[in-house]
Amino acid sequence: MRTLSTQKGSGCVAEFTLEAKPVLGGFTKDWSGTTLTELTNLAAVAVSVPAGGEKKLSAALKKSYGDGVPAVGESYVSKDGARVVGFAQDQMMVLWDHPPHGGVATVSGQLGDTGYFVEQTSNWVFLELSGPLSRASLERLSALNLHPDVYPVDRAERTIMEHMGALVVRTGEDTFLLASASSSARSFAHAVETSLDWVS
Amino acid sequence: MSGSMRLSGGQVDHDQVLKFTWNGNEYKGLGGDTLASAMVANDIRLVGRSFKYHRPRGIFSSGSEEPNALVHLRSGARREPNTRATVAELFEGLEATSQNHRGTLEWDLLAFNDLLSPWLSAGFYYKTFMWPKSFWEKVYEPFIRSAAGLGSLSGEADPDAYDKGNLHCDVLVIGAGPAGLAAAVAAAKSGAQVILAEEDFQMGGRLLAETYEVNGKPGADWAQETVAQLGTMPNVRLMTRTAVFGAYDHGIYGALERKTDHLSNPAGKPRQIMWRIYSKRAILCGGATERSVAFGNNDRPGIMLAGSVRAYANRWAASAGKRVAVLTNNDDGWRTATDLVAKGVEVAGVIDTRDREPLTHIPGAAVVTGAAVKDTSGRRALKRITLTNGQTMDVDCLAVSGGWSPNVHLTCHQRGKPVWDEAIAGFVPGGTLPVGMVVAGSTNGTYGTGACLAEGRSVANAVVKDLGFAASRAGAAKADDEPSDVTAFWHVKDSPSRAWVDLQNDVTSKDVKLAEQEGFRSVEHLKRYTTLGMATDQGKTSNVLGLAVMADARGRTIQETGTTIFRPPYSPVPLGAFAGRAKGKDFRPTRLTPSHDWAAEYGVSMVESGPWMRAEWYPRSGETTWRDSCDREAANTREKVGVADVTTLGKIDIQGKDATDFINRVYSNGFAKLAVGKVRYGLMLREDGMVMDDGTTARLGENHYVMTTTTANAVGVYRHLDFCRQCLWPDMDVHIISVTDSWAQFAVAGPKSRDLLRKIVDADIDISNEAFPFMACADITVCGGTPGRLFRISFSGELAYEIAVPSRYGDSFIRALMAAGEEFGVMPYGLEALSVMRIEKGHAVANELTGQTTARNLGLGRMVSDKKDSIGAVLSRREYLNRDDVWHLVGLQPVDKSKKLSAGAHFLDKDAEPTMDNDLGWMTSVAYSPALGHSIGIGFVKRGGKRFHDVVRAWDGVRGEDIEVEIVHAHFVDPEGERLRG
Repeated sequence: MRTLSTQKGSGCVAEFTLEAKPVLGGFTKDWSGTTLTELTNLAAVAVSVPAGGEKKLSAALKKSYGDGVPAVGESYVSKDGARVVGFAQDQMMVLWDHPPHGGVATVSGQLGDTGYFVEQTSNWVFLELSGPLSRASLERLSALNLHPDVYPVDRAERTIMEHMGALVVRTGEDTFLLASASSSARSFAHAVETSLDWVS
Repeated sequence: MSGSMRLSGGQVDHDQVLKFTWNGNEYKGLGGDTLASAMVANDIRLVGRSFKYHRPRGIFSSGSEEPNALVHLRSGARREPNTRATVAELFEGLEATSQNHRGTLEWDLLAFNDLLSPWLSAGFYYKTFMWPKSFWEKVYEPFIRSAAGLGSLSGEADPDAYDKGNLHCDVLVIGAGPAGLAAAVAAAKSGAQVILAEEDFQMGGRLLAETYEVNGKPGADWAQETVAQLGTMPNVRLMTRTAVFGAYDHGIYGALERKTDHLSNPAGKPRQIMWRIYSKRAILCGGATERSVAFGNNDRPGIMLAGSVRAYANRWAASAGKRVAVLTNNDDGWRTATDLVAKGVEVAGVIDTRDREPLTHIPGAAVVTGAAVKDTSGRRALKRITLTNGQTMDVDCLAVSGGWSPNVHLTCHQRGKPVWDEAIAGFVPGGTLPVGMVVAGSTNGTYGTGACLAEGRSVANAVVKDLGFAASRAGAAKADDEPSDVTAFWHVKDSPSRAWVDLQNDVTSKDVKLAEQEGFRSVEHLKRYTTLGMATDQGKTSNVLGLAVMADARGRTIQETGTTIFRPPYSPVPLGAFAGRAKGKDFRPTRLTPSHDWAAEYGVSMVESGPWMRAEWYPRSGETTWRDSCDREAANTREKVGVADVTTLGKIDIQGKDATDFINRVYSNGFAKLAVGKVRYGLMLREDGMVMDDGTTARLGENHYVMTTTTANAVGVYRHLDFCRQCLWPDMDVHIISVTDSWAQFAVAGPKSRDLLRKIVDADIDISNEAFPFMACADITVCGGTPGRLFRISFSGELAYEIAVPSRYGDSFIRALMAAGEEFGVMPYGLEALSVMRIEKGHAVANELTGQTTARNLGLGRMVSDKKDSIGAVLSRREYLNRDDVWHLVGLQPVDKSKKLSAGAHFLDKDAEPTMDNDLGWMTSVAYSPALGHSIGIGFVKRGGKRFHDVVRAWDGVRGEDIEVEIVHAHFVDPEGERLRG
């Protein structure tokens, strides 16, 4: 922790530097081909649509991410791999592989002053659930209908799992991105893990 | 050989022998057996004792309607009482024991109750035990309680796991008999998503128990092929061992899947799963349940339902008796006789209550029509029956069929009223069914296999068409319709002995008549007075019989008499299944602060604070009580520097062009002029003028704020803001999002706090008092570029800051703070020290923000601005809330400084009696103040603000304390606030 040689922008030497710690320590586990993995390098920034500013923001989104403001429950992926999720009324979440800091700066750099931005990276734990048991494990946790015909790829709904708020994004055939509050990350991971233990 | 009564054939696996024990004795059964069928095969007649009279009882039925064969299943902590042997699937090593007896099952001491039966009729406990009065609680009630009940729990924690889940479908088919299978096939062929749920472990329903043919092959074979076909269809989910027990709103059904109950070892998997099934349509094909006839001593072991006797023979290859008689009022009863004879079982006689020609020839059987059974004999097993014509028959099994009652229960779960159908002598679904539910098969009163198959198909086709699917053109499977004529016959009135209506609750026809005589004529009263239809079987075999006896007693029709209201659950659901996995540490989620792991390494004592785990104190070597640690932490913070994790405080990011106006409306005090880079304490009222919450709000930019809330009210305040934003002022440009978990936030308090932080914040940030005064805030960087936020606010009353970094850096940050503060004597402090210091400063928390206190009560009346409108402002001005004698939050200190104050004590004037009229208020928070060296408190006192230095009594009736206290200002330490501005 204590360092003597870290150089900082002002030219001074910092006595201490900080290390980001994944909330689950980079958890990953396999259940005969179904995996649950903590995504430790995903940045999240909430973008809100200013009153009367949807057109402007939509245009900026199209330019930078390839599509406009997603409807609540929908998401899309930009050509650079960023996922834009319709998160709430007049609110979306941009998710992408992130640099150490500056999530808001990255998104506002793309969208200018067309929206309101809030750093959310540390607010969430992100888990990727992938494999043939993914739906069976989630049906023990959520009231969402995850049938492939009903819940197509890129569908992104918010739900409750074991009293915890969660975002469920279908990112592949049998792959889901799960997000929940970081403070209860261990309880959340335990809930999904228990389901996988019990359906495997 | 798996039992002396085992027959050939059936749906059991004669090559799979399973050992089980009953009351410690080992027996053998077969794969595919239930515990009941294995007992029948082993000629076990006596399986239990009745509820009230402790009469010997045997297996009565073959399904979930079983009233008698309730047993303890398994042993030790896994022992489950009141398990119906008829639905318990046999497995290797199954242990079952009998219940509800004193002494052995054979010699039950409580059987003397039967001799007292004249005094134990319906409602006896309302009429007896009235004298002497003092005996009720000490003698009568304890005795009755010890004698009452059926099985007993192990008293140990349930070691098994349970789970819950959610399923979705277009069509839910409930029941996999002929109608259910036909419906499922038709629905599945349309492409609809289908769930077929069956209570039994094998699909097929009555086809498994009968010898009928479907499409020219045995019905059981057709069922097996049909299930196999459904199993290959990706749009079909087959759920055996799954009882749909309740119909709820919006097409939602509750179902219990017995996942591993049939295994000797669940291997860590859940025993049972409680499913919530979301359906667009449901087709109820729940079948029908046979009922008995009330005649003298109709409860002896060996007296069974005729359809069940047939099922044991045909499905489970077990004969319920060596010499059997059949009593019936319908055609179906005759099939029991023919099927038994076909299986080589001797049938002594068929007694048909109808005066008609014999339906068929039963070889070797005496056929008696227009008669009934009047009485029976045989204590632990049936030996003889006596007919109404005086004839007797020596038999060990009497198969009784009083007709079949459609299983309409689920149709009634939303107040549907079944309708009496005289043609089948049974209730059929009527009134308003649950939305989306349709009914097919015998539940609809449609008897006959061919008719059930056709109806299942046609109902399903109509349903899928309604849902927009193309109905399949495939025809229905073909089968004959068996004769099923019935003439209602309920009870043998000239029986000399008691005739049981409800076997499970020991309700006789005499009890029903007594209820009628005593005015309990409504069926709902009848149920409560006699307990008819209660307990595990919910009266499946007894309700209609009881109603019929009541109708007869009243001289009314059964339709006029009506039914009780069927409510969920249709069949028993263990409480463990309702709880699911939510027990122990899984009862609710736990929230951890970013410094949790560091604190654990430090040896912290944690405390639950809502869902959060928070540090309450950090014990050190040599400290023997929590007070040692708490006093040290508080003193160190006041003298040097302390660090506390305050991440749990709610944090809400607020942005938008109207953010300032918005905040100005939700807080009672003014925020319109708060400068960028400044923090202000805010007071939030509810619409009724009571204080809702308080906290600080920092203005980070022109249109950007971050609001903090108390830990307890974080969710409530967020919900309130969202309501205001979306519903009250939807035109405002305001956007909120929770950032509680985004930031690891620490209070750094004490005279050395600035020195410590100078080592943490990056060098280009000036935190001198001049550059960063009290109530300043800023986005900063720390430790060489990590983004952070700094607030100059103080809850302790000391020079203090709250500093935040993204929570993923929180663990690293607390370690950096402690390392940086080492030279200044830094110590972490927990909730207890935090509470001591806030009481020393008179700051309110949940103890004071009770939801029933006003700003004026809290001494914050001036914070309700009259220069603007805000939520709660108008109603806070109500006259009653502003009268002279309202409570004021004040400080209290003991006159005798050695005394310890207690929260909850009420204040009284010196000579006043402790009455409500004399109550002056109450102590809300107390602490030992290391700074002052004695106990202090804060609390509400009537006119307290005008009574400084008055002495009153802190009277605590609970603890037996009565202490003189002096009313003082609530700011015990640094009342001028010089330290926090220093």
